[in-house]
Amino acid sequence: MRTRLLLLLLPGLLCAQSLQDFEKKVTSFTLPNGLQFLVIERHDAPVVSFHTYVNAGAVDDPGGSTGLAHMFEHMAFKGTPQIGSKNWVKEKAALDAIERAYDRLEAERNKSFRSDKAKIAQLEAALKDAIATADSYVESNEYDRIVESNGGVGMNAGTSEDSTQYFYSFPSNRLELWFVMESERFLRPVMREFYKERDVVREERRMRVESNPQGMLVEALLATAFEAHPYHNFAGGWASDIESFRRTDAEAFFKKYYVPGNMVISIAGDVNPTQAKALAQKYFGRIPAGKNPPLVRTVEPEQNGEKRVKVASPAQPFLVVGYKRPDDQSPDAPALDVLTEILSGGRTGILYKEMVRDQQIALAAQAISTYPGSKYPSLFLLFAIPNTGKTVEETEKALYSILERVKGETVDPVALQRVKTKLRAGLIQSLDDNSGLADTLASYQAKYGDWRKVFTELDEYNKVTAADVQRVAKQYLIETARTVAWTYAPQAEGAAK
Amino acid sequence: MKRLSLLLLITAAGCFAQNAAPAVPTYKQLVYPPLKEVRPPEPVEVTLSNGMRVFLLENHELPVVRGFAMVRTGNLFDPSDKRGLSQVMGEVLRSGGTKTKTGDQIDEDLENVAASVESSMGETSATVSFSGLKETEDQVLAVFKDVLTAPEFRQDKIDLTLNQFRGGIARRNDDASEIPRRELLSLLYGRDNSYGWSTEYEHLNRIKRQDLIDFYTRYYFPKNIMLAVYGDFNVAQMQAKLEQLLGSWKAEQAPVPAFPQVTNKPAPGIHFAARADVTQTFFSIGHLGGTLRDKDYPALEVATNILGEGFKSRLMSQIRTKLGYAYSIGATWAANYNHPGTFRIGGSTKSASTVETIQAIRTEIDKMRAAEVTPVELSEAKESVLNSFVFFFDNPEKTLNRVMQYAYFGYPKDFLFQYQKAIASVTRADVLRVMKQYVKPEDLVIVAVGNPKEMPKPLSTVGTVQELDLTIPQPKQETAAADAASITKGKALLAKAQQAMGGADKIAAIKDVTVTARLNLPPAQGGPIAMTGYSMPGPVRQEQTLPFGKVIVFSDGKTGWIGTPQGVQEMPGEVLKQMQGEIFRQLPAIFLADRMAGVTVNAVSDTAVEISGNGQSFRFEFDAATGLPAKMTYLDGGMEATEAYSDWREVGGIKLPFVSKLDAGPLTVSEYKFNTGLKVEDLGKRP
Repeated sequence: MRTRLLLLLLPGLLCAQSLQDFEKKVTSFTLPNGLQFLVIERHDAPVVSFHTYVNAGAVDDPGGSTGLAHMFEHMAFKGTPQIGSKNWVKEKAALDAIERAYDRLEAERNKSFRSDKAKIAQLEAALKDAIATADSYVESNEYDRIVESNGGVGMNAGTSEDSTQYFYSFPSNRLELWFVMESERFLRPVMREFYKERDVVREERRMRVESNPQGMLVEALLATAFEAHPYHNFAGGWASDIESFRRTDAEAFFKKYYVPGNMVISIAGDVNPTQAKALAQKYFGRIPAGKNPPLVRTVEPEQNGEKRVKVASPAQPFLVVGYKRPDDQSPDAPALDVLTEILSGGRTGILYKEMVRDQQIALAAQAISTYPGSKYPSLFLLFAIPNTGKTVEETEKALYSILERVKGETVDPVALQRVKTKLRAGLIQSLDDNSGLADTLASYQAKYGDWRKVFTELDEYNKVTAADVQRVAKQYLIETARTVAWTYAPQAEGAAK
Repeated sequence: MKRLSLLLLITAAGCFAQNAAPAVPTYKQLVYPPLKEVRPPEPVEVTLSNGMRVFLLENHELPVVRGFAMVRTGNLFDPSDKRGLSQVMGEVLRSGGTKTKTGDQIDEDLENVAASVESSMGETSATVSFSGLKETEDQVLAVFKDVLTAPEFRQDKIDLTLNQFRGGIARRNDDASEIPRRELLSLLYGRDNSYGWSTEYEHLNRIKRQDLIDFYTRYYFPKNIMLAVYGDFNVAQMQAKLEQLLGSWKAEQAPVPAFPQVTNKPAPGIHFAARADVTQTFFSIGHLGGTLRDKDYPALEVATNILGEGFKSRLMSQIRTKLGYAYSIGATWAANYNHPGTFRIGGSTKSASTVETIQAIRTEIDKMRAAEVTPVELSEAKESVLNSFVFFFDNPEKTLNRVMQYAYFGYPKDFLFQYQKAIASVTRADVLRVMKQYVKPEDLVIVAVGNPKEMPKPLSTVGTVQELDLTIPQPKQETAAADAASITKGKALLAKAQQAMGGADKIAAIKDVTVTARLNLPPAQGGPIAMTGYSMPGPVRQEQTLPFGKVIVFSDGKTGWIGTPQGVQEMPGEVLKQMQGEIFRQLPAIFLADRMAGVTVNAVSDTAVEISGNGQSFRFEFDAATGLPAKMTYLDGGMEATEAYSDWREVGGIKLPFVSKLDAGPLTVSEYKFNTGLKVEDLGKRP
């Protein structure tokens, strides 16, 4: 009884309190060139975290150059004319020579069956020489060395379908160093060592996709579920594209998408907002304004029937099911998030309770509200790992019977309230971490135009009724909008004889 | 075309922007203000009346209270024949509920208020933790206490956990990237002790509820626990609250012994597992290392930092940046608090560059041992540690955790500051000295998993290669000790059963059997399945009618196939093994086990026999009153399975069970037919 009362009281109280308190800590400003900044003050420790959110990702890869957004992300660590070069004038000439050599090689290759093999070999050797010449001017990994030796931690970046994000933390006395380093790489990045790094990116694909059964499965799911929209391509890109795109392609991508109006930067920690604003103007004000890039034109046509794909793998079976869902601006987005939590939040999610705990059909089962992105209509994803001795068919059937029940009856009000309480408490518990705050606020600012959505979203969740959850389940979790992918053991060679 | 690309280059290089923008300092011109002094918070240490040490740290930034109990135990204390016991215990401590509540009730209670209580088992310690909003503090603490002091270890959750662990074993080789490190550690620490062994099905099969209770009782008592509590509270009030809550818990045990010593002397060498489904070689290379207490640990940290930590390191520069061979490559001097850790280099590379990558790694190690690092390398490595030192203190909870770790392992309170000083004083000569003294190329063990078909140069180019066997051992059938008396008794029990069924000769007269039955699965698992089984001594054919069509399974014990509406597939090895067991246990033929060559019938109690032979073994329990078999127990795919028999009716002169209660659900027989003239060719006929 006491618990119930508490539940009813908790949500409203905490929300109003936290947003009001929190607003005092946040300063936002936009530079004349359109670059938005958020500064979140937390003075407890002399450290500060930085997060740069670029509203461009793998969906923006040009045709024939999938993986390019990711490739640029790697190149953003290669330095500038001043950082990473032993002699910029000579290096620049050598870099240009590489492209000319590559042009000649491509021209010969493009003759297709008429091309001269001996000439190709000769041009390949020339390209290799040109690369070696340029490499001789490189001060390797200088960008990373500066950051690391100044006490930078957690430096990394990630490219998803919708965005590319760069982040790390410094001791707070290195604030200005971050402004120098981050503004330089987006003002005048030098894409040196491009073709070596292209090999590294190719290795990353081998590691994450080609040598990983789950990676291969998800790649097949996306390629099947999306026929026209670029969510069709796994963010890392296809092997042949990675092996052939050029430095000039990456430079064109950078020019088109890395314009200040398409980026949001947040800084969280022991930082003075006035000082941060002055530094932002001084360093990032140098980046010229540009035209905001276009959205993806292609709209995925309506799916007209279930699609199924299986992937051969000697690994134990794995099942992924995706249903078409709208983007994150849809009025149904909050109800879909709540549905996700009801299905797979914590130890009380229905999928865990029934499939893992009670029926023991699956070792794990989970729902993901939106995958692979959310900026465009995407997938409501469910995955399950069949228990030993259980087949994918049994697992799939058990999953559907749960979904049918969710569609057939309204959810338990206690479960619904529990989800709302958890979403709220989860937010509160995440407010004492600089890097997490910088990430979340920058992402929300970029995706919704207002970081406050982090808090106001809770009100939207709070308004979701049991009927809403049932309605979105009925509307979206339908067979004709479903794509199913699973791994299966191929017949051993010789066994079929 | 040419003009266009030129234009792009100029823009990207930023010449226009550079000219237009006001001059700003370069990174070299920056001058940094001194860093604000960090004053790490001091947790308050108290001892409860029952001997439990408690560390309290107030922090009022968020309305949250969190904490964890650290228990002196760990999976290093697993018994050799019941590996995994501690971890199963650690899991069921929470999921199995308490005396008053089931684990499922606790799940709901806690999640209703967005709180958590969790339990976990590590190598050298276990934790029971809690977290909740301040408003829920009393409720969460009460659950925490209940889980810590009064676990019930309900059997259903033990079964669930064992099942999950079995699934983990079955899947442990699926992701090739996880294999090398695991196997390297096993090779370095030795597979015969708790540092290096792996948990197999047979160990899990031996774990019973009483083992969990015994393990819990031995290690979970107040004097063996340190408790940390952090967050939005007042220290004095929290202390009083904890005393009231936990003070009455008076369990006592003898002091827990020291953790076992690391005694293994690993043999250097190359171990390789071939996989056809990968395009990269994943590798882990290393040898045994040291502890955090070693006086040269700081110098080794600096040395491995230069060799292989972060983007600026030599391995990264050489193998990733210059050669483009790897996406991930790194080295670490992984030291432990209380036992030797490891020196390790790990990463992955496309199959074709495997040999070159390993050679390049060796070269980099050799270089580090041959000459001093450059002054720039040394200062950058030291600065990266010293300048990022503040991140040890960026969150008060980190300080609390560290204080707990130091207290637990008996380290000085200022250990971190000693380490900071030691790092600052490391010289180039120190780096060279420790690389020579502690890093031993001749001792390195290399573990690699990759696709030999894609490797132009075999791995043997870099040394003698031993095959790494990743086969997951199926549980051994455990048979009870047998002597003449127990065998005589076993045969007598079986003879009594034969008699009760109608006589051994009548059973022997059955040459083939056709069974029509229905497996009554609950609706959630697909509902009833109609099936027909055909068997002769040896071959078996089973036909099941499923919603999507007919599934036919055939095996003669040596080979087999599975037919579905999608086609016929050869029977995978694991299924074939299960079928061999089924064939061995086939009713009614198995009732004549005493007439079979190489098969032993051994009494294990006054009402049970164990029948073993041909690599198979199972148990029959007999009904003391009727003499008929009541229950069969066997291992199926690594798990214990049972069949309980009832509804015995007479068919063709012998009695057979018309209901077999299987673990999945009851199997009800509608008809047994004997000697219809089945032929092996018919049974093995493919659809």
